[in-house]
Amino acid sequence: MAVVTISSEPWAFGEELAARVAGRLGFSLIDEKSLAPIRDEVNPGESTRCSTSGSNPPENGAPGSQSGNCVALSGELVLKLAKEEDLVIIGGGAQGLFHNRPGTLHVRLVAARGFRIRQAQILEGISAREAGKRIRSIEEQRAGYLRSIYGMRAADPNLYDLTLRMDRLSVEQALKLLVTAVDEMELRRVPRSLIVGGLLPESPEKRGKGRFANATESEFARFLEFYHIPYEYEPRTFPLESDGSGKVTEAFTPDFYLPEQDLYIELTTMKQNLVTRKNRKVRKLRRLYPDVHILIFYQRDYYSLLAKYGLLAGRSEPSHERISR
Amino acid sequence: MKIGRPDNESTAHDVAAGIAEVLISREAIQKRVAEMGAEVSAACKGSLPLLVGVLKGCALFMSDLVRHIGIPMEMDFICLTGYGGRPSGAARITKDLDSAIEGRDVLLVEGIIDTGMTAGYLLRNLEARQPRSIRICALLDKPARRIVDIPIAFRGFQIPDRFVVGYGLDFRQLYRNLPYLGVLSDDVTGLNNHGQGLVLK
Repeated sequence: MAVVTISSEPWAFGEELAARVAGRLGFSLIDEKSLAPIRDEVNPGESTRCSTSGSNPPENGAPGSQSGNCVALSGELVLKLAKEEDLVIIGGGAQGLFHNRPGTLHVRLVAARGFRIRQAQILEGISAREAGKRIRSIEEQRAGYLRSIYGMRAADPNLYDLTLRMDRLSVEQALKLLVTAVDEMELRRVPRSLIVGGLLPESPEKRGKGRFANATESEFARFLEFYHIPYEYEPRTFPLESDGSGKVTEAFTPDFYLPEQDLYIELTTMKQNLVTRKNRKVRKLRRLYPDVHILIFYQRDYYSLLAKYGLLAGRSEPSHERISR
Repeated sequence: MKIGRPDNESTAHDVAAGIAEVLISREAIQKRVAEMGAEVSAACKGSLPLLVGVLKGCALFMSDLVRHIGIPMEMDFICLTGYGGRPSGAARITKDLDSAIEGRDVLLVEGIIDTGMTAGYLLRNLEARQPRSIRICALLDKPARRIVDIPIAFRGFQIPDRFVVGYGLDFRQLYRNLPYLGVLSDDVTGLNNHGQGLVLK
């Protein structure tokens, strides 16, 4: 099956891009969070032991050590998964695990250090000094991990098919380039134009209860799925305000993103005073991120959509009676 | 565009219960459809277009439109399941085209483009069959809640965000036989109930 590995410098949008690529391609996303329950299925309690024995990535995952066993288990699991389904894998030394494997695209995300420090400041609410320290520490951990497990150097350009500068590209642009690369390498066996249902994420029910914040969002997701419109749920949070220390004090997370339309949708089926507050946030988002397209579905818009399909309880009987006579 | 009480349409009073106002009169529709027929004829001259009507909303529009097309053409129809609010399920074609469209110039004829989700689905489906070209002809374009961007080559009327029925468009299969386009009252659609809570069927 096809595999896309994404290796990202800290705070270079790796997690966000990986999630979006997986959603766009209809591949499964593999990250530390998604591996934990699979580990437990194979070996109950393993994920707890792995997460407590080392950070992500493990600092000293040498074979034979406890964290080394976790690494071996994760590697086996991921290799097994790659035989069964198409994967997007973020981090975890996947460029080493799948090195030279046919049907694999290796991607490296980089960005200037100053840019990443600013991102870390905004997202974590920390000082520039602290951000720099954390970045250095994570980089050292990751480099050590790749070196000790696979004997590779993370910065070796020969490990990657595609390197993207995330301080020069938007996530949307990077996403398009990456999807184009997948298609050019013919990793997807069925051309995109012929796929109708295959691009869909799993239905909300399959993803487990509680994925959506309320019934309205769940119903709207069903609309999208009914018409085979790929979507991502709350994929991105936009910082709107930050205080003097750089800590984010106001942010906005639109409910849905439709990658094919490059459109965010916010459902607003609440009371007017809350709508006013949300409108203000959306105005601010449009001002700060002019390239982002967002559509607000107000209560009446949403109910009109339901009414169109006759799903609102209305007084339809009288007119029907008149016609039946 | 003519706005007025439906009582003005003397022949339709029996089926007009629940119509709050006439949005587009019969005369205005006929005039515009004749113009659209001429536009399609001019644009498709020299080819043999295949008009694909999207059932059932297109029925009246399609039958009037083709009578104003002055070049050779062919007709076919396609029908899609409507969203029913079920926990699972996906759109599927319940009546497919009778003819192959590979290499053909296709004109997809729709009664109304609202969110664009239905037209978007059909476009994807038909494009996969590799026609030479595919264009959209819609009587009504309601852009207020557009989710899927649809390129409309031939547009009858752009309308505001109102619940419109008649001239082939329905609410729970009723009102299609109105000769004009009317705005359905919120009492009938259930939109006036939303303050008291949403009740799904």
